[in-house]
Amino acid sequence: MTSTSLVGAAEQLLKRMLGRDAQFREGQWQAIDAIVTRRGRVLVVQRTGWGKSLVYFLSTKLLREQGAGPTILVSPLLSLMRNQIEAASRIGIRAFTINSSNRAEWDLAEAALAKDSCDILLISPERLGNDRFMRSVLPGVSGRAGLFVVDEVHCISDWGHDFRPDYRRIIGVMDRLPAGMPVLGTTATANDRVVADVQQQLGPELVVLRGPLTRHSLRLQNIVLSSQAERLAWLAANIPKFKGSGVIYCLTVADVERVTNWLKSRGIDAEAYHAGDDAKVDREALERALLANELKALVATVALGMGFDKPDLSFVVHFQRPGSVVAYYQQVGRAGRAVEKAYGILLSGREDDDIQDYFIESAFPPPEAMTSLLNAVAAGDGLSLNELLPRVNVSRSMADRALKLLEIDGAIEIKFDKKIRYFRTATQWQPDVDRTNRITALRRAELAQMQKYVAHRECLMEFLARALDDPDAKACGVCANCQGKGFQAETSPELVAEASEFLGRVDIVLEPKKRWPLDMTLSPTSVIPADERNAAGRALCYYGDAGWGKLVREGKYEHNKFDDHLVDASAKLIRERWQPEPFPEWITAIPSRRHPALVYDFASRLAGVLGVPFVAALVRTSDAPEQKLMANSSMQARNVAGTLATQDQIPGGPVLLIDDIVDSGWTLTLAGWLLRKNGSGLVYPFTLARATARKT
Amino acid sequence: MMEPDNDSFALFLLCSHLGLPDESEVKPLSAREWNQLEEKLRANAVSAASLVGSSAEKVDSILQTGPDQAARLTWLLDRGEKLKQELERLDELGIWVITRFDEDYPPRFTERLKGAAPVMLYGAGDARLLNRRGLAVVGSRNVDQRGFALTEFIGNACAVSKLTVYSGGARGVDKTAMGAALSGGGYAVGVLADSLEKGIRAADARRYIEEGHLLLATSFSPHTSFNVGMAMARNKLIYALSDFALVIASDAEKGGTWAGAEEVLKAGWVPLFVVEGANLPEGNRLLIKRGGIPFPDSFDDSPTSLGDWLEEHTPIKEPVAVQGSLF
Repeated sequence: MTSTSLVGAAEQLLKRMLGRDAQFREGQWQAIDAIVTRRGRVLVVQRTGWGKSLVYFLSTKLLREQGAGPTILVSPLLSLMRNQIEAASRIGIRAFTINSSNRAEWDLAEAALAKDSCDILLISPERLGNDRFMRSVLPGVSGRAGLFVVDEVHCISDWGHDFRPDYRRIIGVMDRLPAGMPVLGTTATANDRVVADVQQQLGPELVVLRGPLTRHSLRLQNIVLSSQAERLAWLAANIPKFKGSGVIYCLTVADVERVTNWLKSRGIDAEAYHAGDDAKVDREALERALLANELKALVATVALGMGFDKPDLSFVVHFQRPGSVVAYYQQVGRAGRAVEKAYGILLSGREDDDIQDYFIESAFPPPEAMTSLLNAVAAGDGLSLNELLPRVNVSRSMADRALKLLEIDGAIEIKFDKKIRYFRTATQWQPDVDRTNRITALRRAELAQMQKYVAHRECLMEFLARALDDPDAKACGVCANCQGKGFQAETSPELVAEASEFLGRVDIVLEPKKRWPLDMTLSPTSVIPADERNAAGRALCYYGDAGWGKLVREGKYEHNKFDDHLVDASAKLIRERWQPEPFPEWITAIPSRRHPALVYDFASRLAGVLGVPFVAALVRTSDAPEQKLMANSSMQARNVAGTLATQDQIPGGPVLLIDDIVDSGWTLTLAGWLLRKNGSGLVYPFTLARATARKT
Repeated sequence: MMEPDNDSFALFLLCSHLGLPDESEVKPLSAREWNQLEEKLRANAVSAASLVGSSAEKVDSILQTGPDQAARLTWLLDRGEKLKQELERLDELGIWVITRFDEDYPPRFTERLKGAAPVMLYGAGDARLLNRRGLAVVGSRNVDQRGFALTEFIGNACAVSKLTVYSGGARGVDKTAMGAALSGGGYAVGVLADSLEKGIRAADARRYIEEGHLLLATSFSPHTSFNVGMAMARNKLIYALSDFALVIASDAEKGGTWAGAEEVLKAGWVPLFVVEGANLPEGNRLLIKRGGIPFPDSFDDSPTSLGDWLEEHTPIKEPVAVQGSLF
């Protein structure tokens, strides 16, 4: 068939799939032509909603008509493809899906492949790490596959913002494919560097087809409001002005919860969405509610991610600044897919850089973490994950990731003997320091670019498009900078005051720890006996937040003295809102060698206001490294054990135990235990601030 | 691949209920089904581990299971990643699992229970406790003051005469006997008919487990709560682990204690002692009549001699011919 007659056939199919008036979008036919006529390797970079799935379904159909084998498609978003698969079935495409949640259908798929009645096999990337799939399904199809498609192909690239270890296995799969077989990679977000990396991995002959990334319906605006109170006030004043519903993105779970509670307190229909507690957050129900416009706003972390598709989403507001243009474009690009006017407002503030720093530092298991895990595995002769943790200063989630990477590298293997155990293999392994440094440097550069975006005075859409190497980048004419007008940054001082008051009111309950960490047991059992446990405590604020959090930071790092306002606010919290019963009869504090006066001074002043005596009942026996440097609970508890002791004589009644910032909580747990063991009454911990949540 | 590759794990994949919903369409293999499969594996000289990753067609062609059964097997074998996470969660609680392929698996289970031996066992504590000389102590939840006093004495006597108490961990006789053994510095194994996860939450249980004196185990998923069927099945395991069994009190012709004791008398796994004395339940009298060995309710010998006493009062039996293994 010639290219001309092929385009006719393709158009017929298109109309059957999408209706009589359907036409190819710019670039769609070029991609199909490159795949079907020239059997090429093609990378399509197009914005979400452009119709990438149409390209591979039509290509599949045309190739199959020419007698080719089935298409293999790797995609992380299979659950969201139901509609596309249905449309494809109108042109007779028989699709089968293999992912971790539909094992019952595997055999159907295998049978269909055996009979050659499967046109396209959709698989999720983690299936490539599955024994059964790799050993039995794939060999049956890879030798005669007609087309190989990798959706969200930027995940293959180390340079990508969401590199996925499972995507590394794709290279292994490609090695088994017939030579000269067409390959299609698709993504909405790939700058030149990612493209170059994908090219390196998928082969040098890769043809790149880029479309414009600009979304004309989207009106962008950046507003810098350094304090959280001002931004909360802005949300309360402006969210009701938007037509329809939208998403408000925050960087941390704590911020999501706070923003949600604030909006609710202002009568705005908002709900919190994050990857935290499954029992508390019914993510599917929340997505449905937003799709049905039953919510004004979903306040979300990045957990509301790739693949959530609501064409009439009318605004995306960022409460804090994301870490990269790629991430920002993906998130803001959810708005305005099928509405004439939508808004993408980026609020940014003082805490953004700190949070991003934390993300960058903790993003990849650092070489030391990988090496110390590997050494612990090698020394241990079959330790389980839970036994490894006390031996390494690495958090559980990072250990999990590091072990997976080490396993993909072949440096460790796992065996089952009463439990899952890790063993060192004979495979040499060296930390790829270059790679880690390269990625960290990249993340820093991305952050710097995002900082530039916030300060950009010209067209914002053009900035984003250029940053993503869109060759057609040009001024959009509709963003706040092009128009020279937008939403007011200022809100009424009264509203800001109310938001401050709201932030100041957020008392944080410190739940007492009930168990010693593994192998760190100070009582006869791992359970801390009830009469040696702390009572529930309180923290005045989150560290670094607007409101009190800012004063705490200044007190600790600038003035070496906590402001009187903090003393008054603490006394007010304790007396009026907390009202512990029985009320503490004396006050003591965690001693510090690094800042000896700071906490004692604060505690004595608080004692003065509360009218109870301050007693320096605890002493440091040796210096511990700072608690925040300790990554998992065993290490954190070991860090404080043996560094604290009590004075010979301590008072007997209930006591308020003061520290400035609580991070892991082990210092307070251990100090409370010491006090109880040495004769004090109930121990109520109280801290000025709580370190902000460690995960999103 | 991020999954272990051995027979024990394959057996675990095939037979564990972990991670499955209660009304799962695909059921894990029962002990009997596993036995049949094991026969087939042996006949074809195929290891269980080598089935992991095979297609249903291949499994069917090797083992002639039929396509439905082959699909079920491959489905079960394919949940390694999920079960690995479940195991790590259990490990965090201090729970391990052994299968028939493991060294610590009690040989007595297979010797005595044959095909009814559990294919795997979840436990918390030192697995070596499963293979110590010991006395199974059973009785209903409700016994009178004297019954409890005797049970306590027996527990203590086990401790000082170096016998492990094997019991069910239920309220009443079970807990009393185990508690007395442990507080006397001895050892106890509780085979639970209730959730193991719940069982190890009790503070005193955790302490004894950590000291290496107590083992709690179950052949059911560790989160499964009590039901009567489980209780009946686990009674077998208690007897099968022990060297002697002692019935403190039993109803006549009804209840779990009666049913279990009768089964022991019939199967002859261990000598069954039954407490004898005034005011004891009808069941005790009937069990003695059917072959139970009387045990005086006022044990007058020194508690340190309990083991010897049981030995001396065990009637000498003709050794039962044991069917030799095929290999």
